[in-house]
Order: sequence, then C-alpha cells, then structure tokens
Amino acid sequence: MSLEQHAIIIILAPLLGALVISLIGGLHRRVAYLTLVAALAVSFSSTIATLSQVAARAAEGPLHYFLGDWQPPYGIELVIDPLNALVLTMVAGVSLLVAIYSKETVRRESPDRLHHYYTLFALLVAGLLGITATGDIFNLYVLTEIAALASYALLASGRGFAYYATFKYIIMGTIGACFYLLGVGYLYIKTGTLNMAEMQAFMTRPALLHSESIRVAFILIMVGLWIKMAFFPLHGWLPNAYTRTSTTTSCLVAPLMTKVSVYVMIRVMFGVFTLPYAYHVMGWNTAVVWLASLAIVAGSIGALAQTNLKRMLTYIIVAEVGYMVGGAWLGNAAGLTGAIYHIISDGLMTACLFMAVGAITFKTGEINLEAMRGVFRRMPVTAAIFVVGGLAMIGIPPTCGFFSKWYLLSGGLAAGHYGFVVALLFSSLVNAVLFFRLFEIGYYPLFDAQSEAGQHDKVVVAEAPLSMLVPMLITAAMILVVGLYTSRIVSGLIEYALPAGLKL
Amino acid sequence: MKKTALIIIAVLGILLLRAAEDLPSWGDPQSPASVHLSNYYLEESYEETSVPNIVTAVLADYRSYDTLFETVVIFCAGITVLLILRRTPRRWPKVISPRPNRPGADIILQTAARLLVPMMQLFALYVVAHGHHSPGGGFQGGVILGASLILLALSYDIEMALHRFKEKFVLLFSAGGVLLYAAIGLVCLYLGRNFLAYGAWADLLGISELAAHSHGMLGVEIGVAITVLCIMFSLYIDLASGGDLDEGL
Repeated sequence: MSLEQHAIIIILAPLLGALVISLIGGLHRRVAYLTLVAALAVSFSSTIATLSQVAARAAEGPLHYFLGDWQPPYGIELVIDPLNALVLTMVAGVSLLVAIYSKETVRRESPDRLHHYYTLFALLVAGLLGITATGDIFNLYVLTEIAALASYALLASGRGFAYYATFKYIIMGTIGACFYLLGVGYLYIKTGTLNMAEMQAFMTRPALLHSESIRVAFILIMVGLWIKMAFFPLHGWLPNAYTRTSTTTSCLVAPLMTKVSVYVMIRVMFGVFTLPYAYHVMGWNTAVVWLASLAIVAGSIGALAQTNLKRMLTYIIVAEVGYMVGGAWLGNAAGLTGAIYHIISDGLMTACLFMAVGAITFKTGEINLEAMRGVFRRMPVTAAIFVVGGLAMIGIPPTCGFFSKWYLLSGGLAAGHYGFVVALLFSSLVNAVLFFRLFEIGYYPLFDAQSEAGQHDKVVVAEAPLSMLVPMLITAAMILVVGLYTSRIVSGLIEYALPAGLKL
Repeated sequence: MKKTALIIIAVLGILLLRAAEDLPSWGDPQSPASVHLSNYYLEESYEETSVPNIVTAVLADYRSYDTLFETVVIFCAGITVLLILRRTPRRWPKVISPRPNRPGADIILQTAARLLVPMMQLFALYVVAHGHHSPGGGFQGGVILGASLILLALSYDIEMALHRFKEKFVLLFSAGGVLLYAAIGLVCLYLGRNFLAYGAWADLLGISELAAHSHGMLGVEIGVAITVLCIMFSLYIDLASGGDLDEGL
C-alpha cells in the first residue's frame, strides 16, 4: 500500500471497525473492545503518517486524494493540509485514548448491547474524521449526519433525563444541519460546484462577491455551525446533554464534537469563502467577537454556579467555544493562530478533565464537588492528572492552555478589541477560582474521618484501573508536550494553515 | 417564547426572500448549476462508465463515496434504535399498548399479502438489478424489499415475519451490506488504485475497464439494497413493538 493511501485509511479504519464490531462484537465483550481499539490505532497511525507527510511538504500545498480516481470537481476529493492534518491527529488520538479508557466504564454503564455502543462509537469517530478530511462541501454534510446520529445515540445512552436532554439536542442539531444544508444549496445554485477549492476560486467573481444569496448562504452556514458548536446564545442544549450522559460518551463527545465544528467554521470561512469575504464583505467581525466575549463570560459564570463536576466542565466548554470563535473572527494572524492552536489544546484539556472526573466518579460513585473530597490521598495519580488539566484550563505555562491564551490575547490586543481581552482574562480568573477550589477540596481528607478519632484515619489508596490511568496519563503528558513544542507546531504547521493575506 | 419564535421565523423568512431575489430562474439553462458540472456528466458519463442512467452514474460512481456514507447513515440509524429501545431489563412500562382483543387472523389480508409479497420482492430485485440502466437502484429496491417484509409483519404478526427472517440475520446482513460496498472499494485500494476506483476490477474479472465500472455500480447497489432492506425491517419490528419483538401493532 502506497503512502498516499493513508489519507483514506484514516476514515476507513474506524468505519470497517464499526462494521466488524457489529458483525462479531456480540460474541464477547473483549472482541468488541479490542476491535475498536485496533481500528482506532490503525487510524491514528495513519494520521501520524499523514501529518508527517504534510509537515514535510507544508510549503508546497495540501495532499489530495481523489476518491474513485475521479478528478475534482467531477468526483470527491480529500484534501489534507496542515490545518486539518493537525485536527485529524487530535481527533484520532483523543478517540483512541478514550476507547482504551472505556474498557471498565462501558462495562459498568451499558453492559447489554455493548457491541452496539461500540459500533456507534466507531461510527462517530469515522464521521468526525471524514468531516475533517474532506474537500467537498456536500460530503461534509453527509459525514456530519453520521457523526450527529451516532452522537445522539451515544448521548441518549445515559441515565434518567439523558433522553430528554438528547431530544432537545436532536432538535437543535437537526436545525443546525438544515441551516448548513440550505446554505450549501444556495452555494451550489450560484456556483454550480461542490468542490471547496473550486468554489473558492469562483468566489472572487464580482457577480458572486456582491450576490445576496451568497451572503444568505454564508449567514445560514455560520448560524448552523454555531448551533452545532453551542456558541452563545445557541448553547442551551449542550450542558444538559453532555452532563446527563454516561462517562464514556461525555469523554468522547465533549472534546471532539464542538472542536470539529469550530474547524468546519474556519474551513468554510477561508477554504470555501475567501478571507476578504469573511472579514470585509460581511462586516461582522466586531459583532461576532463581542458575541464570543459574551460567550466566554456567560460560560465562565455558568461554570461558577455549578456543583456538579461534569456540568461545570460543560459550561467551561461553552466558554472555550467563545475563545475559538472569537479568535477566528479577530481578523489577524495571531487570533486565528490562537483559534487553530486552541482546537488542539482544548481537545486535549477537555479530554483530560472529563476522563479524570470520570475516573473519580467511577471510584466514588459521586459526581458532585464532594466527590473530590480527599481525592489526593485516595487517588493520587488521578488527582495529579486532574491538576494538569486544571492548570491547562487556567492557562499556566508550560501547558498548552497557556500558549493558546497567549496567542488569543495578543490577537485581541493587536485588533484593539479590548472587550475580548477582558473576557479572556476574566475567564482565566474564573477558571483559577474553580480549579483551586476543587484542588483545595481534594487536598483535605474527609471531615468525618477527622472528627471521630481526632486524627486522620488511614486513607486507603484506591486508584482507578490501569486501563483508565494509562490513557489519562498520556493525555496529561500530551498537554505538556504540545505546550513545550508550541513554537514548532506554530511555525511548522499552523503558519501554513493561515490563509494568504494573514501572516504572523 | 412564542414571540421570540415568531421574530426568528420572520427574520429567517426575510432572509430567504432576499436570497431568492438573485437566484437563477426555474429551469434556466444558463444557470451555473446547468452549465458547469451537469454538461460534463451528460456528455461524458456514458463514455466513462458505460451506464446509461446518469443519475446512477453520478450517485454510484462519481460520488460513490457520498453514497457509501449515506448507506452508513441508514445503518447508523438502525443501530441507534437498537441501542435505545432494546434494553434488558426494561426500565419503564411499554408506551405502545397492545392491540385490544385481536380478532384472530384476517384471511382476506393474509391471502392478499401472500399474493403480493412475492411480486413485490421480484419487482424489487428487478429495480436493484436494472438500476443502472433504468430508474431505480439500491435504495429504491431495498425499500420495496423492506416493505414486503413489513407487509408480512402487518398482515400476520411480527413473530411470523421474524420466523421467516431471523433477527440474527437481519443484523448480520445490515452490516454485511455496507461491508460489501466498502469491500468493493477496498479491493480497488488493494490492487493499487484509489478507494472505489472500480476500474481496478477489470483485470480481476477479465473485462474492460468500462464494464468494470458498470459491474462495480451493480455491486454497490446490491450492498445498499441489502442494508436498506434489513434496516427498514429492523426499524419496523423494534418501533412497532417498543423493542420487545412480540405481537406489535
């Protein structure tokens, strides 16, 4: 198999994994688990191969893969450039880690129909990877449907109100998808093509530049994507849907779904439309950045009000979406670099925190702040991982959270958008309050144990199983590694991902 | 809440009306969609794929990758219903109440169904097999096949239909159909061409590249039909019985 086939293997491996799990996963729990992990491992290694290929030829342009050997625009192509190579690696890596992590949690949470759960797990990953890799605007929609359908099913597999919360998400998600499809329809009517690169080439025609229907298409696609990524004020569905569901699902869906939607937004802005179109013809920049600032503030305040750990994290996601949308719309290189870099770093941080909280819940059976009580003694490794994730969320060097905030802040200052800068700083402060409060709760042992004997009882160390610890450790390590290699990532990849006309 | 909804709908309506202003008029031969890709497909598709049905050529060859994933969407929907409805033990009482006092088998319905079902299935096979020459194809044929089984389940009962088509096989074939589609593409990849480049089958089957395109399309249509058939049936039996696979509607 030649080197260029890696691009399609990235998507096919989880797809075939899903089919094989569906066929033989019912035999035994372990068969389903191992098939999933193997499929995602193949996919991840292909993303690494593709990433190194793209990095080696970053200056020459993207890799193209023509499906069915049909030249675009007649057929569909995959286009891998530095931007989506990074996102692909993040998505495949995080999903592989979550798959390994899921061994014990899925067994406890959905013991029956486990192979159906894993089938949908693999389909969700295939959908997300396909969305990221494609160079065809309609193909993106088809894969969005797969990712959305699979995520609805996975989110509904929680307990209690999960069905109701997911139902709301289905309504919102479907409206978002309809908006996107309607926008694609307008674009097709006006340009006659579905290939992103060709559409962008047509976009410079003056007739299209000032066409009302193209403007409406842009608005529809943006609003549709904002619903999908839970951008304030369209975020109402997210906290409930992500909180009520099972641990495994929230670990998988929370770091990936919103991030991929942000990637699609950036891709549509600069890969289908053009930089002058997004920034100048629409004239939205300031309004969107203000909205993003509001999202950050609202998400942070929302997080502050929660006593449920998972729910707190979901509100942080709402704030983080504000970071990325704001960064992308600041209109300068630093802001966009921050937004792209934050897709990677936020994926890792969210995965790390959700997995750590999941492990704590797994051992204590609690999900409230009280679950943290004495966690440093009972689960020292998990607690340390949680601290790394928390520090990254606050933005303390050398974690990757610091560097994305750095780029976003300098972008905000360069654009003279002080509201966004203040919102970012406010959110960092709120995150500091949130996480240091949790660290404090976690550092002190149970009060009951203290009061009875007047001294600390011997605390039994009860760590999470190894299958959970190892992926969490790798995620925490990656937060630090990505942080330390920031300059290499930015100068070697993200710089080439910026549209022409924006340079660092 | 109602007022907000009204405002949103009004804004959306104005937006869409403004967009409608500069859309090309209905059936305009000079519209971008008619002059760019359509011409190519109309003129070249028979030369390149040897399939006279242009819609099928675009669907199952030029944009075959899309169609693969559309089949996966159907498969995904089926698994979703299974994951949500089929839980043991049940956590809440059944929502669908069983039919009160079933008055026994209805001989007219059952006889009609017995006569109809083979016809439907034969016609469905024709729709699948002839899909790349005349209107039809995998989705359509699969739906007719699925409908024939649903008709059986409706006029007799779900157990009878399941006796004819065991649930184990329903699940096996629903994944198998997609797998057949993907495998046809993967063989091309294995033979050194790109995924879904049907031309790679030419040497394997000992036919020309053009015929390989036509045969490849037939193969993927069969895969689509199998998945659609199984998922339609699976959706029906699960939804109609609330996941219990008993008497049903």
